[in-house]
Amino acid sequence: MNGLIAIPTLQELLNYIVGILTSRTFLEMIIFPGFLNIMLGAAFLVWLERKLIARVQLRIGPLYAGMWGILQPVADGVKLLFKEMIFPELADKKVLILGALALMMLAVAPVVPIPFGEGFVIADMNIGLLYVFAVISLFPTVILLIGWGSNSKYSLLGGLRSMFQQVAYEVPMWLSVLGIVMLTGTLNLTEIVKAQQKVWFIVPEVLGFAVFFTAILAELERIPFDLPEAETELVMGWMTELSGVAFMVGFLAMYTKVYVMSALMTALFLGGWSGPSVIPQPVWFLAKTFLVASVMVIIRGTFPRVRVDILLKAAWGRLLLLALANVFVTAGLIWLGLGGIWKV
Amino acid sequence: MPDPIFLVLSAVVVVSAIAALEARELIYGAVGLAFSLIGVAGIFLLLGEEYLAMFQIAVYVGAVVVLIMFTIMLVRRDSGRPAEEEEPGRLGRAGAFVAGLIALAIAAAMYLVIPYSAEMPILSEISLHDLGRTLASGYALALVILGLLIGATAVGALTLAKIEPEEERGGAA
Amino acid sequence: MAFDVWSLVVIFEFLAFLVTFPLLVFGWLMGAKGRNAIRDGPFESGQPRMGEARQRYMMQYYPYLIMFVAFDIISMFLFTWGLAFSVLPFTDNLLFIVFLIVLVAPLGYALHLSGRRELW
Repeated sequence: MNGLIAIPTLQELLNYIVGILTSRTFLEMIIFPGFLNIMLGAAFLVWLERKLIARVQLRIGPLYAGMWGILQPVADGVKLLFKEMIFPELADKKVLILGALALMMLAVAPVVPIPFGEGFVIADMNIGLLYVFAVISLFPTVILLIGWGSNSKYSLLGGLRSMFQQVAYEVPMWLSVLGIVMLTGTLNLTEIVKAQQKVWFIVPEVLGFAVFFTAILAELERIPFDLPEAETELVMGWMTELSGVAFMVGFLAMYTKVYVMSALMTALFLGGWSGPSVIPQPVWFLAKTFLVASVMVIIRGTFPRVRVDILLKAAWGRLLLLALANVFVTAGLIWLGLGGIWKV
Repeated sequence: MPDPIFLVLSAVVVVSAIAALEARELIYGAVGLAFSLIGVAGIFLLLGEEYLAMFQIAVYVGAVVVLIMFTIMLVRRDSGRPAEEEEPGRLGRAGAFVAGLIALAIAAAMYLVIPYSAEMPILSEISLHDLGRTLASGYALALVILGLLIGATAVGALTLAKIEPEEERGGAA
Repeated sequence: MAFDVWSLVVIFEFLAFLVTFPLLVFGWLMGAKGRNAIRDGPFESGQPRMGEARQRYMMQYYPYLIMFVAFDIISMFLFTWGLAFSVLPFTDNLLFIVFLIVLVAPLGYALHLSGRRELW
């Protein structure tokens, strides 16, 4: 036995770090489809949501910050950056701040295996789909922590409701994608996108898409499932006691989630980056992603909120059975021999 | 020379577990547990078992820790006061000492018996496809029994947890 | 340099930390400071604080949580099945499908239990 620990020499460590910084993967991580992409996408979604909602409600929306109010999210961010972070006396400051940090880190994580174009993926994971679901399943923990750490009735209640909601809709989400896994036999998102070159998965998996879209709406806590937020009742639900920068981080994390989940939906059901090659692939991908996000935004302006017991009963009773039905339909499709179109 | 990443992950697992046990607030204990389980998932990744690692995170940290946190939150305690600590008695200390001795003995036995290699073994290069095939065909019956057992356990837990409604007028006990 | 997929995940998360943490520190340092009784209380839309925060809510939905733990594990196994579906013989697939149908029974029981609030 030579030594107990192999501490890498400083030279090796520097070489490794330099190797990382100069590799293409690192550039992908920072610019596209990495951080710059996510931050710009999330900020753009903030503006898009406010503008579209305004149009649905016959208003104008952000107008003064830049042309068409496009700089509104920037203005909001700068404002929040300088606000005081007020924490109640009985709240646990560490938990709240670290919780906001964890929210952002978790919201960003699912982007890693999502392919924004052929070759535009941060890490081509063989279990990409499962990795995304594992990250999503970590959210209730953080939400419970923030809700509890606020030590306020409304925050705690919002956190519990949110946990129940997210946990209830996770199972239909997984089962609705099972059909795609059965058709392609892989969990690799790049392979799944490539398998859709002829026909997008939304065609055989219509039911799966409907279930998945609904489940994602609930996971993102968007109307009609925004009971944890319930602006007229719980203020901001479990995010109530986050203020200042912590709120900005939580708010941004929320929209980052919308962006990343829309991207996931595009990759899974809408053919990812496929489209006539007059337009480059990443543009197709982004266009479809923002289309999905816009539908989510318009739904926000259209539907009333669902009551909590109906919400949970619908998830466990109806949505889960629909997802199972989708699995059976897909099984039938494969047995009839129609699965060959999507064979990878 | 063992892999430094393995040592870091093992440290995370052990230190988080100890922190979980020693924490004053129960919630911090649950957080420590979550970190410990994520460390275990990391060790699975080192062994090349990606599927198992994702399974671990989704099931343990995603479901079991949430269940534990929910239970902790519903235990009513006077706010602000940390739980009082007792000094472990003589029996407690003797027990801890014996447990430590046994742990050392097991570690020594393993070191002497198992050939030591610094390489992290990749246990198997099973593709996910083969894993699915083996699990579903060779072990299908075991899987189904497992699933039914889980379902039965859930039903049992619910039956035990619920409060029996008070008997109204008439009706046998 | 070729990178192992998981070290990329770690690096990416580390970058996320590097981006977010300075924001939080900046906000912590830059924000005004002022403590008084009103600011320090939890937010209840202006009303003075009433009641204990940590109480026994939502116990009614406990069955859903238990069923989630069960379905979480089962879903993971279902993913392995889904991966191998197209190459498995018909009888094995049928076994799984029957299994899925049988699982609806405990689910129905959990649904029934959560509908009755007096039990919790």
